[in-house]
Amino acid sequence: MLLLLAVLHFGLRPWLGNGRFAPDFLLLALLVYAIGERPGRAVIAGFLVGLLSDSLRPVAFGSAMLAYAVVGYLGAWGKAVFFAENPVVAAAFFFGGVVVRDVLVLLWGGTGDPAGLAWQLGLWTPLQGLATAVTGLMVLYVFRRWLSLRLSG
Amino acid sequence: MVSERFASRWDTLAFVACVGLALVARALPERVQEAVAAGVRRTLLAPFLQVERQTSWLRAAYRESEAFLAERDSAALRAIRVEGLAEENRRLRELLALRTRLPDAGVSAVVLRQATPTRGLTVLLSKGTRDGIRPLSPVLSPRGLLGVVRSVDPTTSVAVLWTHPDFRVSAMTPDGSVFGMVRPRGGNPDTMTMLLEGVPYRDTIPPGTPLLTSGFGGVYPRGIPIGTVVAVLEEQAGLARSYVVRAAAHPGSTNHVIVLVRRLTDASAAYGPEEGL
Repeated sequence: MLLLLAVLHFGLRPWLGNGRFAPDFLLLALLVYAIGERPGRAVIAGFLVGLLSDSLRPVAFGSAMLAYAVVGYLGAWGKAVFFAENPVVAAAFFFGGVVVRDVLVLLWGGTGDPAGLAWQLGLWTPLQGLATAVTGLMVLYVFRRWLSLRLSG
Repeated sequence: MVSERFASRWDTLAFVACVGLALVARALPERVQEAVAAGVRRTLLAPFLQVERQTSWLRAAYRESEAFLAERDSAALRAIRVEGLAEENRRLRELLALRTRLPDAGVSAVVLRQATPTRGLTVLLSKGTRDGIRPLSPVLSPRGLLGVVRSVDPTTSVAVLWTHPDFRVSAMTPDGSVFGMVRPRGGNPDTMTMLLEGVPYRDTIPPGTPLLTSGFGGVYPRGIPIGTVVAVLEEQAGLARSYVVRAAAHPGSTNHVIVLVRRLTDASAAYGPEEGL
């Protein structure tokens, strides 16, 4: 399933219109992985996803590694703290992952001016967060047996 | 209990190690960062980039098939009404003329899209050293200057767009009478605005004046459209003026680009007076 999400990231996203708010399947794969894993493994997975992301966009090399590692770590802990089998909580979980990722990449990368930062975090990040959350819920629903989830309404 | 504590300690250790590695990666020299990124692109990411490249071509072919059908229909109409020829000619020229006017100087490449929030600053292109692309190769769209190649792999390359804070290009008015330096203005990229700085106070540029690359610096050939002067932004009393410039090429709506692989001194022949300005 994780490989499928990675393939979708590169194969389906170009068809989903504006890349600024198309769902981020790589982040989704990381968060779904983090749901079922210990924080230690999730942080390593996040670091690797960040390495891939940084290699694609070497604007501020290292910023995505840090951001995805933190997201993976928080995601694994968040699963233990917030019971992510409720759809609303799961959606908030995916939305929060996108927000935390973008905040860390932009602030740690230091590439944006204040106005650009405001536009990204005020408009595009929430939109991508929403798209990723909706897609994440669909993924959880489709793969609920594989993930041993009981999504309650 | 003991194993749980050990596992928790291991989690913390993994977190600290990964964050530490990320900090080290951020602090590495740019040359080393580029080498690591290129290595990952050539190995781990290679199959995924191939998927994206094929998808992009498929998407482009799908769109072009629609355009082709539309053009076929319009060709049938043109056979009846020749006056449609001028409009058709204009559209075809925008799609094809730039490539044909730069017959052996440029290669066309697909813009591969990514999800990170820095996407508006750089793009990954589907061509690399195998097609003759080198660092500092100018990246053009049919509308004008889009950016410059920063690093190159055999099959892909990374280009810095004009929206990147480090982007600078020497500009001039079409008559070559006024020169200045253009840089991104920042803020919302959708405003499509740049700044023209360093224009001597004695020179004034009226709104609506096109700006072209001057050719100074040796990176960009002379005569590529950069944008159009919109208004004066500020005046440093008696010294210089800054102007707001509306960019000619929009990174967000560009799917295909031309990368100049042969050094030209003058590219003005590739852009007619109507191109994008």
